[in-house]
Amino acid sequence: MTETKDMIFIDGKAIGFMEGQTIMDAALSAQVYIPHLCHYPGLTPSGNCRLCVVEADGRKVAACTTAAREGQQISNNTAELNAARKAITQMLFVEGNHICPSCEKSGNCKLQAMGYYLSMLEEHYPQFNPHRALDASHPDIFLDRGRCILCGLCVRASHDVDKKNVFAIAGRGADARLIVNTVSGKLGDSNLDVSDLAANICPVGAIMFKEHGYVTPIGERIYDRQQISDVALNEHVREERR
Amino acid sequence: MTDRKIRIATTSLAGCFGCHMSFLDIDEQLVQLNERIEFNRSPLTDIKHCGPSDIGLIEGGVCNADNVRVLREFRANCKILIAVGACAITGGVPAMRNYFDLRECLEEVYLHGAGVTNPQIPDDVELPLLLDKVYPIQEVVPVDYFLPGCPPPADAFLAILLPLLNGEASPQVADRRFYYD
Amino acid sequence: MTSGKSNVPGTRRIAIDPITRVEGHGKITLLLDQDNHIQEARLHIIEFRGFEKFIQGRPYWDVPFFVQRLCGICPVSHQLAAAKAVDQLAGVDQLTPTAEKLRHLLHFGQVLQSHALHFFHLSSPDFLFGFGGDPLRRNIAGVLDRYPEIAMQGIKLRKFGQQIIEAITGKRVHGTGTIPGGMNKPLASDRRDALLAESTDILRWSEQAVDLNAQIHTTHVEHADFATMPTNYLSLVGKNGELELYHGGLRARYPDGGLIFDQLDYCDYQQILREEVRAWSYMKFPYLLQLGEAQGWYRVGPLARVNNCDRITTPRAEAARKQFKAVSSDNLVHDTLGYHWTRMIEMLHCAESIQILLNDPEITGTDLVAEKAGRRQEGIGVIEAPRGTLFHHYQVNDEGIVTRANLIVSTTSNNQAMNESLRIVANRYLDGQEITEALLNHLEVAVRAYDPCLSCATHALGKMPLQVELVDTEGALIHRLVKNSDGRLNG
Repeated sequence: MTETKDMIFIDGKAIGFMEGQTIMDAALSAQVYIPHLCHYPGLTPSGNCRLCVVEADGRKVAACTTAAREGQQISNNTAELNAARKAITQMLFVEGNHICPSCEKSGNCKLQAMGYYLSMLEEHYPQFNPHRALDASHPDIFLDRGRCILCGLCVRASHDVDKKNVFAIAGRGADARLIVNTVSGKLGDSNLDVSDLAANICPVGAIMFKEHGYVTPIGERIYDRQQISDVALNEHVREERR
Repeated sequence: MTDRKIRIATTSLAGCFGCHMSFLDIDEQLVQLNERIEFNRSPLTDIKHCGPSDIGLIEGGVCNADNVRVLREFRANCKILIAVGACAITGGVPAMRNYFDLRECLEEVYLHGAGVTNPQIPDDVELPLLLDKVYPIQEVVPVDYFLPGCPPPADAFLAILLPLLNGEASPQVADRRFYYD
Repeated sequence: MTSGKSNVPGTRRIAIDPITRVEGHGKITLLLDQDNHIQEARLHIIEFRGFEKFIQGRPYWDVPFFVQRLCGICPVSHQLAAAKAVDQLAGVDQLTPTAEKLRHLLHFGQVLQSHALHFFHLSSPDFLFGFGGDPLRRNIAGVLDRYPEIAMQGIKLRKFGQQIIEAITGKRVHGTGTIPGGMNKPLASDRRDALLAESTDILRWSEQAVDLNAQIHTTHVEHADFATMPTNYLSLVGKNGELELYHGGLRARYPDGGLIFDQLDYCDYQQILREEVRAWSYMKFPYLLQLGEAQGWYRVGPLARVNNCDRITTPRAEAARKQFKAVSSDNLVHDTLGYHWTRMIEMLHCAESIQILLNDPEITGTDLVAEKAGRRQEGIGVIEAPRGTLFHHYQVNDEGIVTRANLIVSTTSNNQAMNESLRIVANRYLDGQEITEALLNHLEVAVRAYDPCLSCATHALGKMPLQVELVDTEGALIHRLVKNSDGRLNG
């Protein structure tokens, strides 16, 4: 592929991009981190978490679904945007059952790591305390809907990559929920397998392998050693190389 | 800056005392700290009611009427109130009872759990009334600072207290590495 | 103290609220008549949290890390008891040698730090300043000011135990470490070396703590009687009757030292224990079924363990045990304040045992997880926590989800004993007297002897065999119902 001369500007820094790339992909390729939870390199972007909202030529847009255009002036790492990102993260926390002390995903969790990255010291909004069903019907994988942030990564991974269509988001707005595409609604009746991307892509503790628990000691978990920005940039590099 | 010792009051509401134990994990630094502070009401002292204090450390969320009373006493008497640990900040693990109806919980234990007739739920006047849910403390009183962790590590306590003892207005807790677990 | 009207005619109420220098939340109430005679003395446990309810529906491998958040002083007790149950659920009956030793080391470390905290940070002020000493000095800060060497020993002893916990579980409080069938990381040899280098000092300070408590108890003649009462005792013992903290058989003794039962498999605990509910406390009242509820209450913890065992396997603690037993010509020592002395004897035993394990080359081994056989649906883990025998019992469905949980926590077993101790002290020291703050602290001293862990005690749920009595205002029995461990009801 010929290198493009097209440039966008993120916080004043010139970033090259290729025709058809989104602002997010262009930024990550240039090792510039735009916070995100529902984006994963290679999967169709969804734009639902709103963490990646940047200001492009004066308009607030989701970087993952907005095409890069020559000469765009983009603000990313600003106080206003980071305050909004923190508020979004706080809302995500209070909306579900995100009790880190007793969650086995702790230390390997992107929602948690996002909180650390944004210096979220408290959750600000009143807790929702929803009661959502746990599905442990599958022999190897369990679904803890209390922790689902409706990012839809499992839906897209199962559809786009695994070609299995195991998951979907049903309902709208406050009634939106993760469902399993089986007659019973149970994961145990699906053909989800531990090697599927959908089984491995969940950024939080909603889709988990059974009996895995706390095998990784404290100090050796992903986010004990790295910030989410570093991990996200490495993910992008890894997927780009495929 | 006066010579008097800075007065610190502490309490554990619906907490497990782990945050107090983590505070004591400052180990030998307690000796130096003791030269600059004195404790007011605390599980570690015999002062039963919070008097005028400079700093209040609150561990634990709010789960019953007694917690509310104590928390308000602390807010009224402490110039600075710090929510310490996951339970005070979010409700924490005890807040898992929020997914269940409280009546269900009590009935399961003291009525149906034993399958008895003419059962009794402990309801003596000495027992404080339970709230419908477990709440973070900032849903009851305004809070000045938050120290996350379950528990926050010992050096996090020093990182927030020492600047306050030195008269600095706003210790930058968020600049340090912190954890939610 | 707060003093005011009571609901019982002809009496007034005095409350100590909260009890301080204990873990957890409790209050003591006294009802006195016009002549200041004590009509009632009660320890109320006022917290209700509901752990066994919300652990239902969670995967079983989560359990140890939920339940350890019952308590911040003894989370490791709960993690280990739950881990033993989880091993059974995962189908593991025997750990690897290194995993077994790491669990023992972890347990000795946590008992050592918990016992150190309780004496030095919480109860020593009563003995160093007197039960009626200045309430503003009667705390760890006062000890730091007036007896800095003693305070420093306490800080360092506690620190050592916490460092062991951190080395194995990753944090001082609420770490991880145990996994089904083993441990999640080896002990690094540089950590082992650092701990070993400290261990000689730790041993010496533990011995000094024993000597200090022996001296306190024997020089104050009135301490022998303080809240003292003959009781039954329950604890685990090793297979040769030795003091055993991690794993063993259940033994119970009568006050005269005779055996009620011995070497009972703790998986059969439901055959021997019952819990009674009373309206004025969220904490229940366990008793030994075969003795009935009036006679069947018992004590647990250091006094029980030292009374129950035939010997201690480590030499210095064994010498200390003999010295302790010599204070009485009876078979057992019932002195309630003897809890403090026996607690330090156990701390010494931990210090000796830790040194032995740190010198064992297998302690840094890397073979950490045993083969799992088939999953089971029931797991029971029992351990001697610092405060007494701790029972964890979980039932799991074939998906691996917890369906029932039952915890009998150490301090619960001491509930009746603490209330009896309150009555004795109230009658002896407060009855007919003008009530002062100093006298009220005497009541707290009685409760503190048991090193109560009131947070643990208020997990408060369970589907244990249960007896419920309905009494009228005269206390006469109207109705009694018992649900047996097999679910059948008897009226």
